[in-house]
Amino acid sequence: MKLLRYLFYRLLQMFPIALFIVVINFALIHMAPGDVSILLAGEGADPEYMEQVRERYGLNLPLYQQLGAYIGQLLQGDLGLSFRTREPVIGIIAERIPATLLLAGTALVLASVLGVAIGAVMARRPGSALDTAVTTLSISLFSIPVFWLGLMLILLFAVTLRWLPSSGMASIAGPREGIGYALDVARHMVLPVLSLAAIWLGQYVRLSRAAVSETLAEPYVTTARAIGFPERRVMTRFALRNAMLPIVTVLGLELGLLLTGAVLTETVFSWPGLGRLIYEAILSRDTPVIMGAFLIMSFTVMLAALLTDLVYAALDPRVRL
Amino acid sequence: MRLWTSTILATAVLAPALALAETTLIMPQQDEPRTLTPAPSSDTGGHGPTSNIYSHLVVMDWGIVEGVAAYGDLADSWEVSEDATTYTFHLNTDARWHDGEDVTSEDVKFTYERIMEKGYTFSSFLRDVKSIETPDDDTVVITLNKPNMAFLPMMAQGAQWTGKIYPEHLWADQDGFDTGPYVNEPVGSGPFKFVRWDRGTAVVLEANEDYFRGPPAVDTLIFRTIPDANVARAEFEAGQFPYLPFNYAPPLAEAPIFEADPDINVVYTPSHFSRDLQLNLNHEALGNPKVREAIAYAMDREQMNRLAFNNSWTPGYYAGVSSLQKWINEDARFPEHDAEKAEALLDEAGFPRGEDGWRFSVKVTGPNISDCSAITEILVRQLRDVGIEAELDRFDQSTWFSRIQEKQFDISCYFGRYGPDPDAYREHFSTDGARNFMSYSDAELDQLAAEANTIRDEETRKEMYGRIQEIVVRDMPYINVFEEQKMSLVRPGWTGFAVMPGGFNKSISWFGVYGVSGPDDAE
Repeated sequence: MKLLRYLFYRLLQMFPIALFIVVINFALIHMAPGDVSILLAGEGADPEYMEQVRERYGLNLPLYQQLGAYIGQLLQGDLGLSFRTREPVIGIIAERIPATLLLAGTALVLASVLGVAIGAVMARRPGSALDTAVTTLSISLFSIPVFWLGLMLILLFAVTLRWLPSSGMASIAGPREGIGYALDVARHMVLPVLSLAAIWLGQYVRLSRAAVSETLAEPYVTTARAIGFPERRVMTRFALRNAMLPIVTVLGLELGLLLTGAVLTETVFSWPGLGRLIYEAILSRDTPVIMGAFLIMSFTVMLAALLTDLVYAALDPRVRL
Repeated sequence: MRLWTSTILATAVLAPALALAETTLIMPQQDEPRTLTPAPSSDTGGHGPTSNIYSHLVVMDWGIVEGVAAYGDLADSWEVSEDATTYTFHLNTDARWHDGEDVTSEDVKFTYERIMEKGYTFSSFLRDVKSIETPDDDTVVITLNKPNMAFLPMMAQGAQWTGKIYPEHLWADQDGFDTGPYVNEPVGSGPFKFVRWDRGTAVVLEANEDYFRGPPAVDTLIFRTIPDANVARAEFEAGQFPYLPFNYAPPLAEAPIFEADPDINVVYTPSHFSRDLQLNLNHEALGNPKVREAIAYAMDREQMNRLAFNNSWTPGYYAGVSSLQKWINEDARFPEHDAEKAEALLDEAGFPRGEDGWRFSVKVTGPNISDCSAITEILVRQLRDVGIEAELDRFDQSTWFSRIQEKQFDISCYFGRYGPDPDAYREHFSTDGARNFMSYSDAELDQLAAEANTIRDEETRKEMYGRIQEIVVRDMPYINVFEEQKMSLVRPGWTGFAVMPGGFNKSISWFGVYGVSGPDDAE
């Protein structure tokens, strides 16, 4: 019962936050200089046609009225129509989400699992040569710009060695369904997942190494060792479980950013996901799509935060909801 | 060789039923199409697919340099009346829509009338149209309110983007060209048929076997969206596609590397655009003709060419570009670099160097295109050398464009257009010209430009445009810097791209690939 009430309040809290986000986004986008109608009508368009375009898209109304109309629409669950394509925003976004989830989700799982494992192993041998090497490598990975890493991977594996396709999500003339399609997508995924995971990996290695070595110094670990628990059990049951708390926090944050974190990677690899949609929408000032995407992203961030809190409670009995 | 093998292998593996090797052409492009309906607005991602799906009445391509402003697409031939107000087009009788219906004069009338009624972009090219008549299925008669010599060439140019012919039988019951089932599943009469659009990835077209000029050599045509220029280049080098269009703009400084590579043909394409400087005459110093002349002297095109373009661009000393050929007045010439003369002129104009060494300050801006960035960067240095405190001011494309329209600039790099008809001078330099951001106004020029457009006799027209060029070079509201040159990369064996000299009037429009054939298609 208590949990349900907690959930209810948390979900309720999301609405004022979402409203706040909508207003801020709206203000930011409209503070940017430049005239959307020029982009819509085309440079050198007839002033008359331009006026017509402004009217049709409601760009001639005062800002507060545009905002009011937008919020009214949102309350009815309508994200509006894209300026560029005149299609419903909700459909445009929904179409792109699976590609992004596939790419970023795979990379996140890969980075977190591998990163935590490597970090835990390193924590047991602090100061060793291997530890120093891994720490240095993970800091470098963490600091490499993702688009540069992507380009280098393309140059090496797609251009020089020609082992893997360089961009896109599937071969255009390739199979459209079945196992053939899955394999084709998998081949296309390797490079973007690798570049995205490499950057996240560094972060998890560092995080997990720090957290595990901290818990290993705790008295209860010493006690457990003194009792005679086997080292493997000490590691998994006592050290890792307690070290999970900070890791879960970061994982939760990243889960929320799952939909956004891949803008650069998606652009470099021509991946047809949400990140690239946002990039294109921003370049063409497609306000309804930008706002819609931001709104959905902020909801995922809030949901991820909620999820993190719930997992926290499960992991750490001291946290009472 | 690798490319062929992979194309053949791919086709063989994926479509075992097809025994013959098929030619697949992948065209990379930076932008995803917004829609696949060309009329409502200009759409950089859509022009490629729609130009190959739809036909035009008349069209042109980069072959303007060959001296022909327009050639027929659906129109086989046309006649112009003595007074240059009545244009009679004779349509190709074999043209069919992709659904098998006949293309008739009614389709042309329907399309143009709807474009005018809705005020779509192309309507500005149809401004002077009084009536469109269809005496029979294959004849279109367009009557103008007043003679307009630029009508046909401008219409042919505009057709590239937004002036394609729609099938009346499919669109008649739609409210406009932006609604209904055919917006993103187009039915045209061009050399390729629409197959599918994978959002975010590619638009796939297939050869139209019943095309009225005969089927194209390319069997499958794919427009692939690759936003990142570096990736596009890497894929071109990896043999993913045979053609890297100029808008991916590999830096011209790298041209020698490509030219040394036997597996790459470097194609240079002249255009009827220039790179020039627009000077805002409302600026305190720039309003003074002597200052403008001094800037022309201060500018060193040779140095810019060396530093930015590997000496591969043609400096522009006339108020025009070479592709304009016969219209250029070679007696009207901008001065060559002479820094001393520039300083003397500035002193004379009443802007001596102050105690800090500066005479006055200007902001230099330009559109967000790489060549303009290079030109303005070097220009700033050259102006500072003669004591003008110049600074760069950069914006994204739409901000830059609204700023120059609002005349919020001092000096801006610009892409002046001189063709396909010299009527372009009116657009740039007449007092109310749409591209006159300089606030320039000259009564004689206004009158000449308005009149020259209505005169059929070419010699007389030429004299008038020659005088206009003299006036412009005298007053220097703008200074020509370079003739635009586009650089594209093509794999050997592929011919017929619109940017290639041999592609003239075979590609059917700037974006057309009808004339393209690969090494496998050699006959």
